[in-house]
This record gives sequence, structure tokens and C-alpha cells, in this order.
Amino acid sequence: MSVILTADGLVGGYGDADVLHGVDLAVEATDIAVIVGPNGAGKSTALKALFGLVELRQGRVTLLGEDITGAAPDTIVPRGMGYVPQERNIFPNLTVHENLEMGAYTRRGDIGAAYDRVYDLFPPLAERRRSPAGTLSGGQRQMVAIGRALMLEPRILLLDEPTVGLSPLYIEQIFDRIVEINRAGVAVLMVEQNARQALRLASRGYVLAGGRNRFSDTGPNLLRDPEVARSFLGS
Amino acid sequence: MIELVNFYLIPGIVLGCIYALGAIGLSLVFGILRFAHFAHGDLLTLGAYFSLVAATALAVPPLWALPVAIVATAAAALLIDRLFYRPLRARHSVATVIASFGVALMIRSVIQLIWGPQDRVFETGIRHPLVIGDFRLAERHIYIVAAAATIIALLHLFLTRTRAGKAMRAMSDEPSLARVSGINTERVVAWTWVLAAALLAAGGLFLGIDTQVKPQMGFNLILPMFAAAILGGIGKPYGAIAGGLVIGLAEELATVPIGGMPLVPPSYKSAVAFVILVAMLLWRPTGLFRGRVF
Repeated sequence: MSVILTADGLVGGYGDADVLHGVDLAVEATDIAVIVGPNGAGKSTALKALFGLVELRQGRVTLLGEDITGAAPDTIVPRGMGYVPQERNIFPNLTVHENLEMGAYTRRGDIGAAYDRVYDLFPPLAERRRSPAGTLSGGQRQMVAIGRALMLEPRILLLDEPTVGLSPLYIEQIFDRIVEINRAGVAVLMVEQNARQALRLASRGYVLAGGRNRFSDTGPNLLRDPEVARSFLGS
Repeated sequence: MIELVNFYLIPGIVLGCIYALGAIGLSLVFGILRFAHFAHGDLLTLGAYFSLVAATALAVPPLWALPVAIVATAAAALLIDRLFYRPLRARHSVATVIASFGVALMIRSVIQLIWGPQDRVFETGIRHPLVIGDFRLAERHIYIVAAAATIIALLHLFLTRTRAGKAMRAMSDEPSLARVSGINTERVVAWTWVLAAALLAAGGLFLGIDTQVKPQMGFNLILPMFAAAILGGIGKPYGAIAGGLVIGLAEELATVPIGGMPLVPPSYKSAVAFVILVAMLLWRPTGLFRGRVF
């Protein structure tokens, strides 16, 4: 199995306050990896740290075997990692099509096939391609956000709470699409608040608490673990 | 009626175009660099002097000097950004705002040192106005408005059709998402200065043709330009166009005599922009087109 992304002993945070106190992650090419944990566990921070958006005091991040610790996003993106932030993850005044175009910003040349793939994956976007993204519904905005990150055909996609604030119907749809993206050969690493639903899909699950790894196993195994269930899933 | 058009409406539109050229840049800079750029007026003055120097040196009509002035003004803006604004980028925007006040003073002083404090004029010779019926159109007014409209149309094409223009709009929308999309934000900043400077060079040239070229010409425009940008909704370049025209027309129309007395004495007409500015900030700080709050 080829490892796409690794994080070893990440320590860091914002300014003087550390949020991460030693986080390890590894994602392989076929994985859907899910990070769950209580509020303030450092889940989103860990994701940002992988993308060079958090000051790391210790630790190392590798992408496809290369060290990318502390690299800037505009050098990470072309190497094959896409990131979808939790909030403010679309350009509201740009059209849907322009949002996707911005996702392919670092790529020169023909991106027609990349548009087609995103529109095939999310048909509602094809109908709204000329509309400003800010006028779309919450679920459709999330599709734009994920679609934008897919435009460069990443090897791995980082998703920060992709289903937050969506109706159950859309949550289902987004999870289905994430599985579909993964089947097409993109590794997925996501932070999820809908822990049970997400872990069911996870070939690899991480429970984070207090900025540290607490449990890691396959998603279904974590769901079966009575201690995980009691402490973190609110059985 | 004819008088209203010849002496108030047409000059108002001309002035409005000049304000719009400045306000668009102010709005772009605010949207992308997130600070109120107080050296904007003095950069316009610099653009006017560059136009004057180029027109004189090349012995060409003023409008022909515009490309040279645009290049020179853009270079100056990029240099100023590199020296004074970029080192402050990571700080709170108040630091950059204060720096821009300093830059404004420096530009004005350098202009006085090099070109002296006296007023200068473009050598356009005496031209007779175009007379259509009772309407009298000064040739310079026609080409100022036509050139401003052309420049604004080109800007629109740039912002909606080019990769760099779309990246500018993206960064104005969500700067952090622009970064994680892999957009090189420093390059977008550079484009922003080039565009703002091009618009200012044109604004400076037009104001110079319409009146005189003098060291305070741009500083006097700061207030109406900010009023126009806020009226249009800060961060909304298209709003700034409308804002500029409204302020220009309002200033001129406010001096229309009614019953023998002007509504506002002409020497107080810049107060009109100020009143509009204060009113907008009080009642509708997002502007007419729902921009950001200052």
C-alpha cells in the first residue's frame, strides 16, 4: 500500500498557545480517513497544520514521500493535496464555474476535462454554473467547495467538517459523493462532527482529544470499541 | 435648461468620471489589501505630472502620453508597496493606513521638489467647443468621458475574462480561500497596484486637462474619492463607478442657482461630498451596493 500523507508528532498552534501536543496521522492511497473527537480537540487545527496554515513547533509532514512541513499552500496544492475549509469555503461573488476555475489556478493548459468530472459528480452545479456561488443552497455550496478542491485532480483531499449545518438529506448526498471520489482514486482525510456516520465509511479512524491521538483503528472497529463509544460518541 | 446641461450636468459627469477612476482603485485596494489607502490622491497627482512630462518630452497630444504615464505610475505604486506597505502586511491594517498617510506626504513633497509649487497646464491650444443646437460640448470633455468609459470597459473585461482578474475578485471575496486554492497572493497584490495606478494616471491626466496640474490636485480629491467608494459599497469596483458619478453630479448640481441664489455657494461644493459621506456612514455603511463595512 502506498502512503500518501504522513504526520509525525505535530506540536503547534496559534501564537503562543499550542493546540496540538503530538498528533500522528497516516493516510494511504485508498483510504477514507476520519478524525473525530470532542470540541477543542484540535481536529481542524491538525488539518490546517498539514496544509501549512498553522505554525508547527515540532513534527514533520510528508506528502508522497516529500517533506512539506511549513510549505506554503501555493506549493502544496500543485503537489497533489486539496483542502476544503469548514467555513468560507466558496467565493460567493464568483460564479460556480469561476469558483471551479480558481481551484485549477495553479494549472496551465486545458482544464475542460476537470470541469466535466466535477459537473458529472455534482449535476446540480452544472445547471447553476453561471450563478454566483453565494446564491446557492447550503448543500450546493458544499458541492462547489469540494468541486473547487478537485479541479487539480489531487491525490488526497482534506475536508474540514463537510456536512456541518446541512440537512440530513444533503449529509447523505455529500457522504455518498465522498465515497465516490475515493473510489475514483483520491485518498480522503476528513474531520467530522457526524462521527458515527463518518466512521462507518472510514477505513482508518482517529480519535483526537486534548491535541493528542487517543485511539486509532478502522472506523467500524472504533464504533465497536466500548470505551470510544462511551467517551467520545455519546452512546 | 440648456444652461443646466452646459454648465452643471456636463461638468458634473466629467468630474464624476475622474472621481470614479480614483474610487475604483480605492475600492480594489480596500477589497484586496484590506486597508484605506490615503496616498491614493497623491498617486493621482503623480500620474498627472508623469502625463505632463511625457506629453512635453514626446511633444504629443496629452492623451497620447497616457500609456507612458500608466507605466511610470504603476512602477511608482509597486515600488511604494514594496518599500512601505509590504513590510506591514502581517500587521493590523491600521499600521498600513498610517503608513499611507506618510506616503501621501512624501509623494507631495517629492513632486514639489522636482516640479515646483506652481500650477502647470497642458498645451492643448485654444479649441472651440462643439456646438449642437444650443448645447456646447468642449472637446476635452468629450474625450475625457469617452476615454474614461473605454478604460472602465477594459477593466470590466480584465476582471471577468482574465485569469489574473478573476483571481483578484476571488481574493477580494475570500482571501484565505484564495491562498488555499494555490493563488499566489503577492502576485494578485501586484496586479491590484498596476490597475489602481493605471486608473489614477488616467484620472490625473483628465483632471490636469480639465483644470491645471498642481501638487495638491490629488490631495483635494481624497474626500470625494472616498465618498464615492463608500457610496458604491467598499470593495465593489462597479459600485465605485456609480458612486463617482453621483458625487460628481451632486457637487455640480448643488451649485445650481435657484431664484438667483445658488443652493450651495460654489466655494462650499466639496462639502457636498462630505455630507454624502457622513450620511452614508450613518445610515447605510455598506453603501448602495452592499459592500463591506469600513
